[in-house]
Amino acid sequence: MENQFLDNWATQLRKGMLELCILNAIKGTSLYGYDIVRKLRKLNALVISEGTIYPILSRLKREGFVQTTIRESTEGPPRKYYELTQKGEQTLSRMNDYWRDVKTGADALKGE
Amino acid sequence: MVKLSDNAQKSLDEYLHQARTYLRSAKSVDAGEVEQNITEHIENELEGAAEPVSADELETVLKKLGSPQQWVPEEELPWWRKFILRLRTGPEDWRLAYLSFGLLVVGFMLSRLSLPLLTLASFVVSRAALSANNYRIEVKAQKWLIYPSLIIVYLVLLCSFLGLPLLGLIPLAYDWEHIIRASYKIGDDTPYWLAACSVFVASIGLWWLIQGVVFLARPNIPKVLFRPFADGFNRRWALVLLCVGFALLVFSLASLYWAYSRYFQPI
Repeated sequence: MENQFLDNWATQLRKGMLELCILNAIKGTSLYGYDIVRKLRKLNALVISEGTIYPILSRLKREGFVQTTIRESTEGPPRKYYELTQKGEQTLSRMNDYWRDVKTGADALKGE
Repeated sequence: MVKLSDNAQKSLDEYLHQARTYLRSAKSVDAGEVEQNITEHIENELEGAAEPVSADELETVLKKLGSPQQWVPEEELPWWRKFILRLRTGPEDWRLAYLSFGLLVVGFMLSRLSLPLLTLASFVVSRAALSANNYRIEVKAQKWLIYPSLIIVYLVLLCSFLGLPLLGLIPLAYDWEHIIRASYKIGDDTPYWLAACSVFVASIGLWWLIQGVVFLARPNIPKVLFRPFADGFNRRWALVLLCVGFALLVFSLASLYWAYSRYFQPI
């Protein structure tokens, strides 16, 4: 039961954190899908299955936080590159601020 | 595209087919785009791998990629799938446990016909509740709601499992006496019951012996069948069943031989 509680808690936490990490991964650069997966792969605890990243990218695009450009590739078919829109940059900045507040608050409680 | 072996190609086609099937109901997702993402991802992952890529290598990549179902955004899942997802990932959920117990109670309250049907339905819901709890025995208070139907069905299953030969032999036993008396010259003092019991016990012994051998090779069968009560079943228990079966078989065959040689004379 304790493990189940932990699993559920981690799932809920991952859902929100993955979006933040994806946006941070493409901040100030443009990356194609697989590059983003590779970057996030380092966060073992966050990325349980790599396929979850692509639907999130599609949703972020639909909501106007990222935009895509198709570029030719020397290694195969043209690739779709993702980059932040202005709206995405503003939202990410607010998300980072919010996360910093949460983390600072949680750390402070832990230290009490 | 990287060259895949026939089996790997089959696995990929199956994965893409499943993803397309799930995506059919999702309006906001472009299935073609998803397919491109999947193939592009696989191609990148397998870059530099020896060709043709084996099914095992592809399976590793697909496993890391996750189930084909995840390509559908959560908000576009049908209501019943969202319900299951909430059951699996939501906070402690008691709905399945209550449903299981409710079905059993209603089964007892209604007609005799509904009892076995609703008990079976309750059993299926209980197994689903266990599955949602990752088959942990420590479902704590939920066990009072989940276990009753499990115990009822498992007891029936266990009796049938252990005494299967008797189900077939008992109806035949009534005819045996006439057949044996017609074939052998036996007096009224002949312990016919001893011969009949020996045949029953020998059948049971042989059946347990077979089960012991099967469970020795596959100790997971009873674990899966009688979850969560047989979680502690291991090869030692299978060996006990095998030894008891063997002892019963030897003992009953010996008494049968003794009865045959002493009392039965062919006509």
